[in-house]
Amino acid sequence: MSHGFDTKPTAGPALPATPDNPVVAGLAGVLDRFNKFALYLSMVALMLTALIMTYSVVARYFFHTPTDWQDDATVFMLVGVIFLCAGYAQSYRGHIGIEALSSILPAAVNAVRLLLVDVVSFLFCAFFSWKSWTLFHEAWSEGQTTSSTFAPPLWIPYSLMALGMTVLTLQILVQVLTRLTDRKQAVTQQTVTGV
Amino acid sequence: QSSALKISHQFPGGSISEGDFRDRLTRMFAAEVGKRTNGSLKFEIYPGSSLMKTNSQFSALRKGALDFSLVPLNYAGGEVPEVNIGLMPGLVTSYEQGAAWKNAEVGKELSRILLEKGVIIVSWIWQAGGVASRTKPIVDPSDAKGLKVRGGSREMDMILKEAGAAVVTLPSNEIYAAMQTGAMDAAMTSSTSLISFRLEEVSKSLTSGRDKAYWYMLEPLMISKATFDRLTKEQQVAVMAVGADMEKFAENAARLDDSGVAAVYQKAGAKVVDLNAATVKKWQDIARNTAWKDYAARNDNCAKLLKLAEKLL
Amino acid sequence: MSPLALGALYGIVTIVVMCSGMPIAFALGVVATSFMYFFMPASSLDTVTQNVYEEIASVTLLSIPLFILKGAAIGKSPAGRDLYSAIHAWLSRVPGGLGIANVFACALFAAMAGSSPATCSAIGSAGIPEMRRRGYSPGFAAGIIAAGGTLGILLPPSITMILYAVASEQSLGRLFLAGIGPGMLLVFLFAGYAVYRARKEYRIAHAIYSQGGVKSAYLDDEHFTLAQKVEMLPRVLPFLVLLIGVMIALYGGFATPSETAGLGALLAIVLIAVVYRMWRPRDLMPFLNSTIKESCMLLLIIGMSLLYSYVMSYLHISQSAAQWVVALHLSKWLLLAMILLMVIVLGFFLPPVSIILMTAPIILPPLREAGFDLIWFGVVMTVVMEMGLIHPPVGLNLFVIKNIAPDIPLSDVIKGTLPFLLLMFLAIILLCLFPGIVTGLPDLLMGAR
Ligand code: NA
Ligand code: NA
Repeated sequence: MSHGFDTKPTAGPALPATPDNPVVAGLAGVLDRFNKFALYLSMVALMLTALIMTYSVVARYFFHTPTDWQDDATVFMLVGVIFLCAGYAQSYRGHIGIEALSSILPAAVNAVRLLLVDVVSFLFCAFFSWKSWTLFHEAWSEGQTTSSTFAPPLWIPYSLMALGMTVLTLQILVQVLTRLTDRKQAVTQQTVTGV
Repeated sequence: QSSALKISHQFPGGSISEGDFRDRLTRMFAAEVGKRTNGSLKFEIYPGSSLMKTNSQFSALRKGALDFSLVPLNYAGGEVPEVNIGLMPGLVTSYEQGAAWKNAEVGKELSRILLEKGVIIVSWIWQAGGVASRTKPIVDPSDAKGLKVRGGSREMDMILKEAGAAVVTLPSNEIYAAMQTGAMDAAMTSSTSLISFRLEEVSKSLTSGRDKAYWYMLEPLMISKATFDRLTKEQQVAVMAVGADMEKFAENAARLDDSGVAAVYQKAGAKVVDLNAATVKKWQDIARNTAWKDYAARNDNCAKLLKLAEKLL
Repeated sequence: MSPLALGALYGIVTIVVMCSGMPIAFALGVVATSFMYFFMPASSLDTVTQNVYEEIASVTLLSIPLFILKGAAIGKSPAGRDLYSAIHAWLSRVPGGLGIANVFACALFAAMAGSSPATCSAIGSAGIPEMRRRGYSPGFAAGIIAAGGTLGILLPPSITMILYAVASEQSLGRLFLAGIGPGMLLVFLFAGYAVYRARKEYRIAHAIYSQGGVKSAYLDDEHFTLAQKVEMLPRVLPFLVLLIGVMIALYGGFATPSETAGLGALLAIVLIAVVYRMWRPRDLMPFLNSTIKESCMLLLIIGMSLLYSYVMSYLHISQSAAQWVVALHLSKWLLLAMILLMVIVLGFFLPPVSIILMTAPIILPPLREAGFDLIWFGVVMTVVMEMGLIHPPVGLNLFVIKNIAPDIPLSDVIKGTLPFLLLMFLAIILLCLFPGIVTGLPDLLMGAR
């Protein structure tokens, strides 16, 4: 994943190089492609959302046209943006944490701590993904909709949430496996996570 | 952890003797059931959506993650389409008629459907509502023409559209600001909410729901079936009996709010207008051809429920 | 275990997990779900995802990404740089002029947005780099933006005030007006401190330079002729158009508060497309990308903190704390002090919205009985909750800053915000001594009660 279209390098730590293990590297490559795709899609969704909200103001004020689908459409798109890009944010460790210990602990202890943090994060996100798919299944099989006038099906945003959380889970898994299989990793990681 | 049963609702919290009647009702219910079960049942009340989001309550009841909730039934319309009958314009036009539902066929059928979904109605609570407007009062359907109105539910929006209004959807916490700036001209909601949203400060007129109304909402106190099944026989009896006792209190309090809201708006200098049988009939006729038709077409259960409800008209 | 003991355990576990370095969003989720597992019915775990979804899927909350987009479109394009150059030229004679300008910019943005992190992000994305470029120390620059950003919930429109008004059954219009006086007070306190601190940093920079040290950008003595200054004015125009456009849409009744988020974002994009010819995907991507990164991080935290506060509410922790305070039967001002202290402690972990929802029903009746004006209290409580946004461990504004300027160590950011926390504390004391700062404006415009 490159930061090619950033005006200046942001978002903290440099990206880890390609994992040493070929299987892990393969999975990382697939996720990278998905993340890029999700990012571009989200950019479009974000612009569309702004457009739709503006349209809704114009339509109501100047043409007295009822606005009933705009709220659902914007909510669905933004929910999609948030969850589909969660894995992308994780890929460069953009989910912010409090890194107070890294400068205090000895390197070996730090490596264990970082691994433990990733494993627990992985377990939580895996649980959340599982429950999201369950929610999706309920909404799908019962034909649930939002309770608005427009009433679009709820499986749409639920599936975006479930897919996004699954990719996030896999992204963390790749990072855990990279930590376990890479030899050089232990050194580069701690230099980039200082407070 | 506490073994207290949890009652959740979205209305402002108060005490057993003061505040929003829907909150008071849950407190009275808790106290009375506690007394009748010799303290074997304890309750914790969560007002103002302080436990979970308003829209999560129904599904939490179904899953057994919440014990009780007092919530407008139609809020669950996306999950269980049948419950949209709880806020069907013109289908109920008086408190007496609403009260008759519980023991009539329509009530039994609705209870059966809800039981299937894992929810039991403990107390049948009906509430009338009206329209606050920042311009002229909306009495006749023709008054709504060209105004930006928030109906608040799919069915209300349908009759408003038919009447020529530009229907606005926005979250209830933005109603005040939107009315103040004029992004919205009028809002339809229950008498009690008309008071607690303080819309009188930004309104010039009120169409009250006292005497005659086409806006009646079913807002029951419900228990999760999972919780109900866990109770002993005596506890179950106590819950249902106290729930039934609360219905009279609810009706009186709702009526008081209907006239109370009129007084509040009058005092704030707004014009207060009442509906009459003829205007209610006009709205009802519109509803019959739009919202009712739409509802009945959803599935067989809906069609059947509507037919049964019409028997009470 | 009693709710209060459980609460203490919950707090300790939270601090431990957060200090482990786990991302805040996951840490909140991990703590919440593990407490669900151990202390709540199994069915609670089935509602986790729906609760998070219901929290995030609100038009009001989702306006945050669009407010961030609006800020980024200005801040990450030449528009932001031009704007700050013009301000710098006009205020170059005023010590701390740029700091003052940033405080005012926060206040103006706060009048368009109902959320604090969004305000922080919008102004900070250009403001922090610009201040640093001109010699401001990183912590100071971050402090100004973090603190200025909190005005988002004190100046109308405000998401938290809307919730408070409903919970306390007070007039929202009156509450909105009541926030303006204290908002101005904070603006002046912040601006005054900016002048003081900038002069101090200037003197230090001067001393270092005169002893042969490095020359700080503070000392770059730029002179601007009046002609130069006037020439720069048109560069402010796009920003003014945006500001006025959004204000008219919001206060003129064209758009609802959340709609102005979308409208403002689109207007900002159109403006930079017209003025700076930035319309190709290549031009737009940088700030779309940064908006997405930031929104994703922030909204996941907000979504998970809902889960966290759900557990806290279910286990009756905040409610028990509030009931405990109330049951002490303290004298009027002691009661207030205890309640505010509790709000501060809750502010360690919870965002303002959750604090209001959980405590309002319990603390408001005794406060009313003790003779406090609930409008006044609502404003004081809002200022206290603003403090929670800029102190750790959970301080949404701090995370926004960390994201905008990742190279500033969090410890510097926290040190930089500390003086502002003290100023806010001073403001609270002033509001207690002179309640007219709060009630004056609403009484004037809506009549005394
Ligand atoms: Na604001
Ligand atoms: Na905090």
